[in-house]
Amino acid sequence: MTEPAAVTPPGAIPPATNEPASSASQAGFRAMWERWTSHVFTMREDRFFLFLAVLIGILSGLAVVCFRIAIEWTDIELLGSSLSPTFPRVVLAPTLAGIVVALLVIYAFPRARGSGVNQTKSAVYVSNGYIPFNTVVGKFITCALAIGSGQSLGPEDPSLQMGAGIASLLGRRLRLSQEKVRLIAPVGAAAGLAAAFNAPISAVLFVLEEVIGTWSAGVLGAIVLAAISSVVTMRAFLGPESMFRVPPFRVAKPADLLAYVALGIVGGLASLVFLKWLAYARPRMQALPRWTQHFQPAVAGLLIGIIGIRLPQVMGAGYPIIDQAMHGQFTWKLLLVLAALKILATGISFLSGTPGGMFAPSLFIGAMLGGAVGAIEQHFFPALPGTVGTFALVGMGTFFAGFLRVPITSVFMVIEVSGNYTAILPVMISSLIAYGISRSYIKVPLFDLLARQDGLVLPSVEEQREQMILTVEDAMRVDAALVLERAEQVADAIKKLEGKEGLLSFLRVRPGEWNFIERSELQRLAADTSQSHTVGEADSKGPLPFVFRDMSLEEALHWAGDWPVLPVLSRADLSKLEGVVTLADILKAFRKVPVA
Amino acid sequence: MSSPANTIALGKKSPRIYSREAVLLGCILLLVLFVLFTAAVSRMYHKSIHVLADNWFDQGEASFRAGDIKSALTDYRNALVYSPDNAKFQFHLAQALSAAGRGDEGRSYLLNLLSESPGSGDVNLTLARIAAHKGLNSEALRYYHGAIYGEWDNDPISRRWQVRRELAEYLLDHGLQQQAVPEIIALADSTPANDTEQLRVVGNVSLRAKLWTRALEVSRTILSANADNEDALLGAATSAFNLGQYSAALDYFDRLPEKDREAPGVAEMHKTAQQINEMNAFLPGLSREAKARRAASALSLAANRLQQCASQVGQSLPATPAQTQLQKALAESKELTAEQSWQNIAKHPETLDELMGHAFEMENAAAAVCGEPEGADRALWLLGRGREFRHSD
Repeated sequence: MTEPAAVTPPGAIPPATNEPASSASQAGFRAMWERWTSHVFTMREDRFFLFLAVLIGILSGLAVVCFRIAIEWTDIELLGSSLSPTFPRVVLAPTLAGIVVALLVIYAFPRARGSGVNQTKSAVYVSNGYIPFNTVVGKFITCALAIGSGQSLGPEDPSLQMGAGIASLLGRRLRLSQEKVRLIAPVGAAAGLAAAFNAPISAVLFVLEEVIGTWSAGVLGAIVLAAISSVVTMRAFLGPESMFRVPPFRVAKPADLLAYVALGIVGGLASLVFLKWLAYARPRMQALPRWTQHFQPAVAGLLIGIIGIRLPQVMGAGYPIIDQAMHGQFTWKLLLVLAALKILATGISFLSGTPGGMFAPSLFIGAMLGGAVGAIEQHFFPALPGTVGTFALVGMGTFFAGFLRVPITSVFMVIEVSGNYTAILPVMISSLIAYGISRSYIKVPLFDLLARQDGLVLPSVEEQREQMILTVEDAMRVDAALVLERAEQVADAIKKLEGKEGLLSFLRVRPGEWNFIERSELQRLAADTSQSHTVGEADSKGPLPFVFRDMSLEEALHWAGDWPVLPVLSRADLSKLEGVVTLADILKAFRKVPVA
Repeated sequence: MSSPANTIALGKKSPRIYSREAVLLGCILLLVLFVLFTAAVSRMYHKSIHVLADNWFDQGEASFRAGDIKSALTDYRNALVYSPDNAKFQFHLAQALSAAGRGDEGRSYLLNLLSESPGSGDVNLTLARIAAHKGLNSEALRYYHGAIYGEWDNDPISRRWQVRRELAEYLLDHGLQQQAVPEIIALADSTPANDTEQLRVVGNVSLRAKLWTRALEVSRTILSANADNEDALLGAATSAFNLGQYSAALDYFDRLPEKDREAPGVAEMHKTAQQINEMNAFLPGLSREAKARRAASALSLAANRLQQCASQVGQSLPATPAQTQLQKALAESKELTAEQSWQNIAKHPETLDELMGHAFEMENAAAAVCGEPEGADRALWLLGRGREFRHSD
């Protein structure tokens, strides 16, 4: 068979003449590559952004897999493979690792310190999407060392930041538009968090709820794609199993839900205590002389090691311990002690500036509290459905919602980390209660608080979310219009207007077509006594753009400047006038709302 | 790497695109390298983790076998840290917890396992034992049934048989005899006729459930293979005795070794069987005279018992007209016993059944008022009940 003559593109390496088969395959590969690159590089930027999201997801997933393995190995090497490390290790490992971490953070990776969520937010709002790659490396090394040595911190927040850092690097190197570079960090953040939690929905929700604050269609698709691809990557290497296994249960009676109301109150109060402590202690720790930063992680490690001599369960991220609590392995007294000591240990680790996240510790604290509340309630009401494990699971979501102030994420996170849908109702109830308590007593959410303490004024997503949206209904006047018909006599219209100075006249031309008639125009026609005039003869302004009572005031504002007044019509009947709104009315309504 | 078409399509943005192309190619190469690196690292990690998990598990097994449950629990938990979804590890931890008297803690792991494999025989059985330990009968029953109809890795027939036996014994221990009966019947049906040991177990539970016919049948099966099997002899004797087959019972009792025959309960039954045998007028092979003597003796014995009972409860006998059941029975018997000497009975052997029937009625009447009799009266009363039982059959 004769080979067809290959067309060599300009600049390509000519095929070797003595290897016809190889050269044909090379040419085929080259043609395929060029077709593909042509396709990729000529695609619109928003499509390219989606393609990039998948790439970011895979890279973030790989990074998180390596990160988790690094933590595990560090843990085994430093503390041993037993759940109960022996005495010298339990104290020495976190202390010595603390010194190394402090030196790394001070001299090599200064940005590894601090919250990954806030650094991602500041990338979006302050630094045009820029997160130095050095931060990713720094987070990886320092967090693996800190968490692996037993510091009471979790791997999720660093994973989130690693994802954001990888995304930022790619966005910059690929020279995306400024807007896309800014938005790409949250895409990576979602990928990192999704892989860390093995929970794509929660990661997407968290990033939307806490980092971006809006459900922007432009970025939602990319975030979802990145989260999915990172989770798929992570599962390919670490397995598809959900983090915890809790047997399904059924809430038989509505009264059973009261048990979870109690859990919501306890979780809310506990999150309040933790938040208050952090809010109080962090500025004081930051105010200490700079040289103390060399020793703060080591001192924190020493203190945690001392706690760990008796209760090693509080060390590290604590996922195996959460699993044990969910299987009812601890008494309610021990669960309460573990929750209290974990708050203490996590506070110490975090305040010392040791890099690491608070997601896992907050899940730990919630699980212990939930288990304790469940065990106590089941002691008094043995017929309550569910096990201690069920309460521990719901407790995780409860404390998470109260502490991090992300109620929607917390509900979905519980479902995803357990693969158990039956807990949804209890966790919704208790999470909302905990969130409500936390919000009532501490106005600023944790991440905003940390940002403000660091001198950053990042937009508060919670405030944005809860900002009142004004509608036309808030500004419109109901009894300020007189509806006139074409055939109506002007004299009759004048009579109706007499003594009502503020009344505005509208001519109903046909459904959806309304005109405005000045009072002076009607008076002009009425003054002509030579003949009787109908309203239809009057000089009217219109057709007026109309609005509906549920439309936002911002939308109405677009029209209000050009027209003296806007009719507010019924959506069900465009010939029915429900009210009127003017520019002055709109501005008055805006002024009434307090600025956040 | 850009084609002319690309350059035309992208126009003046081409320098940026070339750069993006190179970066993307670099990214893809990096991605491939990163995947390979992660795969290698992950393989090493999983290998070392599995080794650790297996080591801890083996250590746990050794501790458990040595009876050191506390150490076994720690070791199993350590194993689970490195292999949290390992069903075998979870199951062994649950078993160790159960053995440590912490069934509630083990239950949670087992419920998880059950939600994943609801048909697991092992898991159902362990859950059933935990529920049984807590006295949760309906739950125990549910899990025992789950185990019986569940899947077993090794020798499922034998394991199911063992579980059903355990269930039957549990039900009998808890006085749930009615629920035990179908289990015992099913157990007997699934027992091979040549397995003496299993037949012995079936015989025992049948005896405990007072399934005399089945117990006798099982014991006879065992005896047909081994005529000297003591358990089978005792089972056959007891069940035959309770079925009113006193001759057969006596035969089995007599074949028992003396030490077994003298055991409490057995000796009493043996003696009663002997007495019944001695006063049974219906025994085949007896002469007419012997039958008549036995019938006359029975009538006399029953009448005396009636008299004693009447005086015990303060009723005057005979009373005219007879009012109570006791008085009526005595009135009838007076006439009979006055006329029926053994010689008369021997002359009219056709009256033997009727006369013995009267004797049994008198014993029944006395038993109804004064309670179950003892000694020879008990033997006569039981003989009568045995005949009633056979006739009603």
